[in-house]
Amino acid sequence: MESLPYYRPRSLIDAFELLAAVSDARWIAGGTDLLVQARKRSQSCGLISLRSIEELGNITTEPDGGLRIGAAMVLSDVRKNRAVRKSCPVLCEAIDVLGSRQIRNVATLGGNLCNASPAADTAPALLALDARVELVSADSRRELPLHDFILGPGKTALKVGEILSALLVPSQLESGACGQAFIRKGRVKMDLAIVSLAVSLSMDGDRCRDIRVAAGAVAPVPLRLIAAEDLLRDTELDDVAIAAAKESAMATVSPIDDQRASAFYRRQLVGVFLERAVRRAAGLAGGESV
Amino acid sequence: MSLHIQFELNGRSTQAKIEPQARLIDTLRETLSHTGTKEGCGEGECGACTVLVDGRVINSCLYPAAEIDGAEVTTIEGLAEGGRHLSPIQSAFLESGGVQCGFCTPGMIMTTVGLLGENPDPSEEEVRDALTGNLCRCTGYVQIVDAIRLAARTLQEGKS
Repeated sequence: MESLPYYRPRSLIDAFELLAAVSDARWIAGGTDLLVQARKRSQSCGLISLRSIEELGNITTEPDGGLRIGAAMVLSDVRKNRAVRKSCPVLCEAIDVLGSRQIRNVATLGGNLCNASPAADTAPALLALDARVELVSADSRRELPLHDFILGPGKTALKVGEILSALLVPSQLESGACGQAFIRKGRVKMDLAIVSLAVSLSMDGDRCRDIRVAAGAVAPVPLRLIAAEDLLRDTELDDVAIAAAKESAMATVSPIDDQRASAFYRRQLVGVFLERAVRRAAGLAGGESV
Repeated sequence: MSLHIQFELNGRSTQAKIEPQARLIDTLRETLSHTGTKEGCGEGECGACTVLVDGRVINSCLYPAAEIDGAEVTTIEGLAEGGRHLSPIQSAFLESGGVQCGFCTPGMIMTTVGLLGENPDPSEEEVRDALTGNLCRCTGYVQIVDAIRLAARTLQEGKS
């Protein structure tokens, strides 16, 4: 019996040619989700590895200060990148708590997002950064806001023949101070998130000029808490504003009971984390240089 | 149809013929008879299968063997000098009593190699964080952490 193939194309062109030529083949990047699932479900198909494709594994800075992060770059490399450390500390914090070192040395942003777990650790951070995804196929290229890419548990807007090629993070450097924070709770460190929450804000003196808040593991998809943001924007992040935002956030999310935590507990944590993350981000914006 | 891979295993140039979708752990244990690396879960959770690829700790149960073509792989078998004199990390595990059944130990030690390579003087917190991906059912981790801190001290002293 023919054993199932594993290809290592060096370019996107080669990758798309393989996809067209090999029946029933799937993309694989780090494989830390895919290989586990394939084993559990006794799935078998050809695999086309994205690990050796240079365009998918590097980071470039756009002229306006935005970042293009190759979707197949391993998380530990994303984490070490100077530009990411400088402008996306919330993403660094999320990567630091994802899995373990062994996983982070192999797993990728693209894989984490395409797996589309409601608890995906990098998603709230990328939502707070207002990231977009770049999707390419043999003959097309398009962009989507990240919140239009993840559609449901395990479901994305990726079309057959497409690859998530890059994360496009807009410039986070603005005049006025910025701060970012990420908080996450799991039963132990290497566990799916029970709740995760990311904040990115900019301050104008005491006033919050703009803010983005995103939560994970509390809805079918990682989501921006738009109503809570509206209650914090243009305020001095005083106790009244924060209390209102907490209530709004807790009402917006739709957590479930599962073996990790109850819906009630998750809902409580959303409120607690919202307050903590907002205060921490505001503190970072206030005093220290980014 | 099999693939031929060529790579460096514990410093020695090595070749292997593999099924295209072979897992690195199976290539190491079955094809190359390097059985020091253990399979505890097959899902990347327990870390018993930890080896180093190009200096980085990875779970060999989830790593395609095809991807190590051209790479440098280090397993537990590669640590003892001449295969006989235990490395400082290995000695520290013995001295600290950080071994009971021993099944998690190769993985713990390889993770330690990775940690001390990046951070030669880790705090207890940093050691525990580095062990996030390595489970032990026997020891309760205390003496494993002791072993790693002892190894760090020994290695630092060796340098001065």
